[in-house]
Amino acid sequence: MTCSRNSRPEEIRRSPWRKLFAGWALWVILCACPATASDYLLYLEAQGVAGYSSRTDEASYYSWMADEVMQKPSLGVDFLKRLSSEAGDFGAFALQYRLAWDDPEDRFQSQLYNAWFKYKAGWSDLWLGHNRPAMGLSSIFDTHGLLLPTLPMYGFGFDRDWGAGASRDLDWGNVSLSLTTGSGMPVRFDGNYLATARVAKGVLGKDNYSLGASLTSGQILGVMGYEVIDREPRRTFLGGVDLTFLRDFFETRVEVVSGRNRGERATAIFLREGVNLMDEGRLKLEIQPVSWQTAGRDQYSLASGASFQVNGDLALRFMHLYDGQTGENRFVVQAYGYKKM
Amino acid sequence: MKQGIIFLLFCLFLADPATHPALAAVGCDLNDPDRDVKRLFPGSTGYKTHYMSIDKQGGDPQLRRIEQRLGDSFQGLYETVDVPYTIYEILNGAEKIGYIHGVNQKGHYGGIQVFLVLDLDGIIKSFYLQKLTSRAATQFRSAEFGKQFEGLSLADFDAYDVVTGKTTATGRVNRINNPAPEAADDFRAVLRAAKKNLILMDEFVYGNRFLNNI
Repeated sequence: MTCSRNSRPEEIRRSPWRKLFAGWALWVILCACPATASDYLLYLEAQGVAGYSSRTDEASYYSWMADEVMQKPSLGVDFLKRLSSEAGDFGAFALQYRLAWDDPEDRFQSQLYNAWFKYKAGWSDLWLGHNRPAMGLSSIFDTHGLLLPTLPMYGFGFDRDWGAGASRDLDWGNVSLSLTTGSGMPVRFDGNYLATARVAKGVLGKDNYSLGASLTSGQILGVMGYEVIDREPRRTFLGGVDLTFLRDFFETRVEVVSGRNRGERATAIFLREGVNLMDEGRLKLEIQPVSWQTAGRDQYSLASGASFQVNGDLALRFMHLYDGQTGENRFVVQAYGYKKM
Repeated sequence: MKQGIIFLLFCLFLADPATHPALAAVGCDLNDPDRDVKRLFPGSTGYKTHYMSIDKQGGDPQLRRIEQRLGDSFQGLYETVDVPYTIYEILNGAEKIGYIHGVNQKGHYGGIQVFLVLDLDGIIKSFYLQKLTSRAATQFRSAEFGKQFEGLSLADFDAYDVVTGKTTATGRVNRINNPAPEAADDFRAVLRAAKKNLILMDEFVYGNRFLNNI
């Protein structure tokens, strides 16, 4: 996805499958009956996002890139249903959907994030649908509501992709594999594919660290959000190392990726350092320098952010992002709500 | 202009008290239930995941009763009426043999996740500390510390005051040693979480068998 942020596709084809699947899945959600004990979780998500760019001297209503799906003013649902028999749980179904305001297209955009079925095979969890490919920090770090961009927004890998995968947790960590379309948000079959594998030592929620090594190989499309910028599948072969480390009030996330990205030599170095302050870590302050090189051209960005959890349902966030390539200073505010239904 | 109005509408939706009764929804799941259930409950063949919350079960009256039993009010992000509690019903074939349940608790360095492995009578079979970012995590996760909880039930915690961290009667809870004296806040948080966990399980699963006349 090494595309110019300002390039626009001449023709935008819409996939009917996304709407069909979203419609079916929403029907499943609506059929879920409230109960004292349930086998599902349903959340309503709403966010308002507004930004100002020093480059255009205008207000805009998205976090960083107009064509990217995250983050925009939107309403959505996050649904997880456990599937079980008499012998216990055998799988799960998840759906994460948003209806977002697409600025500057001036229209609503249907966005499907998680849309997967997971089967617990015993030796591994197998998934099918739209999920996180087994690559780097993005495979384990839920950024669905966050403002600061991760490497997929810089063109390295995909936050979500269509396909299948397997994941097995072990005493010392995790092994994950996935085979996906290499098209990101839209479903495309133009000879594109993406095979990924990640091995991690450490379980973040238990050991306070996770050290991962990823390998990615395939022929991927040039995509920004739902916009296919380049329909020609191009060779991608990336190796990466990622580390997440928690200590007292501090959170550190590092990722280094290098290889060939969409036919060009590419390297990226990502660092996010955060500190949790106030009672229950309600206030989080973060800094994020990112440096990347594509086809010999060096670029960097410096971002900082603050997130304040007003209550369990509502967070207020702020981001400043300096783009070293354009000299743009971008200021973004977000009100993000996530409410259990 | 149009976009600005839409942004404001989203923000107004978020600020609408009808849609946001200022209640948290911070759940507490096992990192890897398949592995953890096998490890914590040897002999199990499977498990069923259930989600329960006070607002769906007993609402505010139940919340008041739970607070009374705990001896402290529910507060902050982890203790609201709509928090989804994940209860793992442990199976041997089709037969139920116990439960695993975790709660979030405010610690010195953010959230602590305390899981209890319980038999069908509400007796603690084992204790598991999942999330804890404090540098004293190693001591709190030690087998020696966890063993002190084995065999306890909610009845043992009745005399433990979660506010003062003291017991009003000599009992087994009184004999639980703090493995990291420099982390007294986290030690008290762990004990409060254990008592809260047992009360919630009594309310949700055991039919209030440990409920005294309060």
